[in-house]
Amino acid sequence: MIELVDVTKVYPNDVVALKNVNLKIDRGEFVFVVGPSGAGKSTLVRLLYREEVATRGQVIVHGKNVARLRRSSIPLLRRTIGVIFQDFKLLPDRNALDNVAFALEVTEASRREIRRRVPAVLDLVGLKDRARAFPHELSGGEQQRLAIARAIINGPSILVADEPTGNLDPDTSWGIMNLLQTLNRNGATVIMATHAKAIVNAMKKRVVAMDHGRIIRDQVQGVYAHEVN
Amino acid sequence: MKSTSLVFGVKQTARSLRQNALMSLASVLTVALSLLVAGLFGLITANLGHIARLAEQQVEVTVFVHDTLPVEAVRTVESQLKALPGVTQVTFVSKDEALARLKAVFANDKDLLAEVEQQNPLYRSFEVRTARPEQIKPTAEAAGKMTGVVKVNYKQEVIEKLFRVTRAIRVSGLAIMVALALAMVMIISNTIRITVFARRREIAIMKLVGATDGFIRWPFVCEGVFLGVVGAGFTSLALWSSYSWAWSGVQRGMPFIPLLPKQPLLLDLTVLILGAGALIGAIGSALSLRRFLRV
Ligand SMILES: Nc1ncnc2c1ncn2[C@@H]1O[C@H](COP(=O)(O)OP(=O)(O)OP(=O)(O)O)[C@@H](O)[C@H]1O
Ligand SMILES: [Mg+2]
Repeated sequence: MIELVDVTKVYPNDVVALKNVNLKIDRGEFVFVVGPSGAGKSTLVRLLYREEVATRGQVIVHGKNVARLRRSSIPLLRRTIGVIFQDFKLLPDRNALDNVAFALEVTEASRREIRRRVPAVLDLVGLKDRARAFPHELSGGEQQRLAIARAIINGPSILVADEPTGNLDPDTSWGIMNLLQTLNRNGATVIMATHAKAIVNAMKKRVVAMDHGRIIRDQVQGVYAHEVN
Repeated sequence: MKSTSLVFGVKQTARSLRQNALMSLASVLTVALSLLVAGLFGLITANLGHIARLAEQQVEVTVFVHDTLPVEAVRTVESQLKALPGVTQVTFVSKDEALARLKAVFANDKDLLAEVEQQNPLYRSFEVRTARPEQIKPTAEAAGKMTGVVKVNYKQEVIEKLFRVTRAIRVSGLAIMVALALAMVMIISNTIRITVFARRREIAIMKLVGATDGFIRWPFVCEGVFLGVVGAGFTSLALWSSYSWAWSGVQRGMPFIPLLPKQPLLLDLTVLILGAGALIGAIGSALSLRRFLRV
């Protein structure tokens, strides 16, 4: 369902963020992408929903090379991929409810559908009582959960999570992980970039480790890092 | 269009017009003034064209024939005239008819009428019309050479000048209108760009969560069209009242100038101007968005 073939990404400032990356992810998998800061994790996931385009190589999602998509097909690709952005990308002048609703609005869902689904999803991430709050009135963790709510509102078949637990206390982090796992069990493919060592080690999922733009390890039921001893 | 995006668009348009009120007002006024100049040009050229066309219809060559010319020879002149290139109509005017026309014009000049009544001094003549004004001169020259023709009359030069002036005004008016249209597009595009720029993050996020270009574009296009149409509305009001005023003035002071009647001229012009305002607004806003949709 997702395949990267010999992908190299060079940013306009000549930073080589990915070097000859090959990766295949099947439908329904749960994959952690780990590695030190600057390893290229965010860059890798940005290629999937075509926020960035590979400099060389192919990125194939749903059987299609995303670089070759017609301009009008890109929104359709993005609607099938829920993204929890590392920097959240919430709209500062809309409250929590509207921030989530807006991801449905852009798909031209009906107003009844919006009114039904948005509160349900806010409830799911534990923000039911904060629905009227604006992003600046929310704590870091609450903002993060709001970003998650927006990512899952469309029922995406692929969920890309870039550090979704970065700002959360351990308990809330586990709450989020349970949520992702539930979505994964219901059929969503989950790709999660993270530094959360404890979570990765405990979950025993596939781990793709990166460093300096290369995949240095790809392990089924892996751990965050190989210990020397 | 689904109601969701409609509501979404209207809300956003209202919000940005409010936040951007001063600039919006400035662009409405600019559009109104530019369209006013264009509209005045339109009214002037329409009327000049009308006057020229009326004059053109009156353009004819009058060919007078000798009183001594026998009827058959007059017929020959008539068929020769009809055979000339470009001639569309040849009308015979008898001595009696010529006299009748003279009487109508000089109804008050009793002495003159009494004099001509005794012995009709007027020639028989042909009124010759041509398809195009530039065919008048060669027609007149050819007629002058025919046997039995006394003299030939035509008022070509005045008409030609009128046409030349109309054409010049039309061409320069068109050039000015193109320049004004560009200026209006730029003004609207700049106004919308302020809104777009303030929302560039929002636009990028919308695109990342799967909004189509059309969905994002349309509230901004609404805003542009709104600015354009409001400006055009002011212009229409101004044109409507100024033409009505000028029209009554001319009717009263210079009734011999044949101005175009107010309707359907003003109605057509209003439709045209509102359409132009909407189009310019739409183009302006679409232009201002282009760069920001590239996400
Ligand atoms: N938009 C960009 N323009 C230029 N360079 C970029 C851009 N985004 C990332 N980079 C560079 O590409 C490299 C990889 O960055 P990336 O964000 O993919 O790392 P990461 O693994 O997600 O790091 P972190 O764990 O800190 O989020 C870094 O050197 C970064 O500076
Ligand atoms: Mg990152």
